[in-house]
Amino acid sequence: MVFTSLNFLIFLPVVMLLFYITPVKYRWLTLLISSYFFYINIKPIYALLSGGITVSTYVFTRLIDKTPDDNKKRILMILNVIIILLPLLFFKYFAVINNELILLLDDWHLRWPLPEMRYILPIGISYYTFMCIGYTIDVYNEEIEAEKNIGIVALFVSFFPLILSGPIERAKNMLPQFRDFQRINYDDLVKGMQLMLWGFFMKLVVADRIAMYVDVVYGNIESYSGNSLLLAAILYPFQVYADLGGYSLIAIGVSKVLGIRVIDNFKRPFFATTMAEFWRRWHISLITWLTDYLYTPLSFSLRKWGLWGIILALELTFLISGIWHMASMTMVVWGLLQGTFLSIEAVTSKRRTKFEGKYSLSNKKWYMLLSMMFTFILFAISQVVGRVDTVGESWMVFRKIFSEWGSFYLDMTTLFYAFIGIVIIILKDFIDEFFPERINFFTNKRVWVRYSSYLTVAFVIILFGVLEGNSFIYFHF
Amino acid sequence: MGKEELQSKLTAIFQKTFNDESLELSDELTANDVENWDSLSHMILIAEVENSFSIKFKLKDLNKMRNVGDMLNIIESKL
Repeated sequence: MVFTSLNFLIFLPVVMLLFYITPVKYRWLTLLISSYFFYINIKPIYALLSGGITVSTYVFTRLIDKTPDDNKKRILMILNVIIILLPLLFFKYFAVINNELILLLDDWHLRWPLPEMRYILPIGISYYTFMCIGYTIDVYNEEIEAEKNIGIVALFVSFFPLILSGPIERAKNMLPQFRDFQRINYDDLVKGMQLMLWGFFMKLVVADRIAMYVDVVYGNIESYSGNSLLLAAILYPFQVYADLGGYSLIAIGVSKVLGIRVIDNFKRPFFATTMAEFWRRWHISLITWLTDYLYTPLSFSLRKWGLWGIILALELTFLISGIWHMASMTMVVWGLLQGTFLSIEAVTSKRRTKFEGKYSLSNKKWYMLLSMMFTFILFAISQVVGRVDTVGESWMVFRKIFSEWGSFYLDMTTLFYAFIGIVIIILKDFIDEFFPERINFFTNKRVWVRYSSYLTVAFVIILFGVLEGNSFIYFHF
Repeated sequence: MGKEELQSKLTAIFQKTFNDESLELSDELTANDVENWDSLSHMILIAEVENSFSIKFKLKDLNKMRNVGDMLNIIESKL
């Protein structure tokens, strides 16, 4: 059951109703049962996995809390991290390692063919694994106490709005909310619905429309000319933003109608003027998770090497992030590219600040616009590598963009709708970024403006949305 | 080392790291208030502080530094 399915449109109101009529004390149980119902409906066996990870995390965090000896605590923490990482590593990398070994055996004529086993990555596994790793380390660091009610831990792991693709939440934020549900207020209900509505717009109207062009062009790179590839390369970052950003808004909105506050995942990323700022605005829950549990320990242990230590820590963090997205050479290159962009920025940061100060550029509009465009181009380049199947293909894309312009593939209807959709999203982000209180539709004081905005967006979704049930990009991770 | 001496020494380190000679420290100051104080420059700052005061932080100490006041207290406890 995904957010964009008809089933979900029935499931959510039922859960809301059950949730509201349950006494506050037992609301966690209603949500836990609903969450397992939601997850089991995707594939029953997955529930075993999330259940197993819950039990392991519960047992180990309790043990860490009870152990006085710091070394023993550390061993327990590391043990749980390894145990809960095993299923993710298995499902993520089994196929790749398996295929490589088969090729190797074939090369050496040692292959003894047996029936091949195939495993598909259980949807959501990355997200709740990361959440449990964070929780375990936080308990070890004595930032929070281990939760004593296993049901609350189970809800943290399986909470249905977040289980499929995040935002990757923290125990610090979620456990207190699950222990003590706030009374639902009208504002949360309205705000939650608004977020969901806009999320559906981003996903169904914009992301899936752009996908129609991007998928065709990237699906057959050899046959398309440089100009078509360039257009696809420019459109793809907007597609991912509308896809994962839209998903995140729905997840945050669904949580909100249940009175649960969840962290934001995007903050108008295309208005960033540097790559460092971009990564503070893009997939925020993943980046802050990586910063806290990977980059900080890495850079801390490498700090003796000064700037070089930081550069190494950055490269390693993004390399791991890349390989987490997919076990492929393209994602290795993707990770190294991100690390390199950020390292170059870090090395030149002092000089840049001086230069900008000298000519007082930081407030100049044209300079900001240029910086935003430059940041976007860097990100778009990295996303070409992230989108294609092999590193060779990404070279082909870049080579064609620079040297092989030819007949332009223009699917006018698709491009027209995609373009209008992008303009609307960017315009909304522009208003939120620069004039947050001045122009508003969903939060307008006048009732008729609010309701006509809701109706317009809803009609646009029904009339122009791609309603064929496309999957979300980040379900594959 | 007295609290004032400690603070002025730390101020000099901050000014050098963040390239801002007018930067003044207060206990409530956080990374949000200082331009260029991000997760990258933070680790350079940490290494500078360790060298200048000849102390060693633990990773756990870093998590406890919510503002400059916390940082001063942790440094003081290690001197």
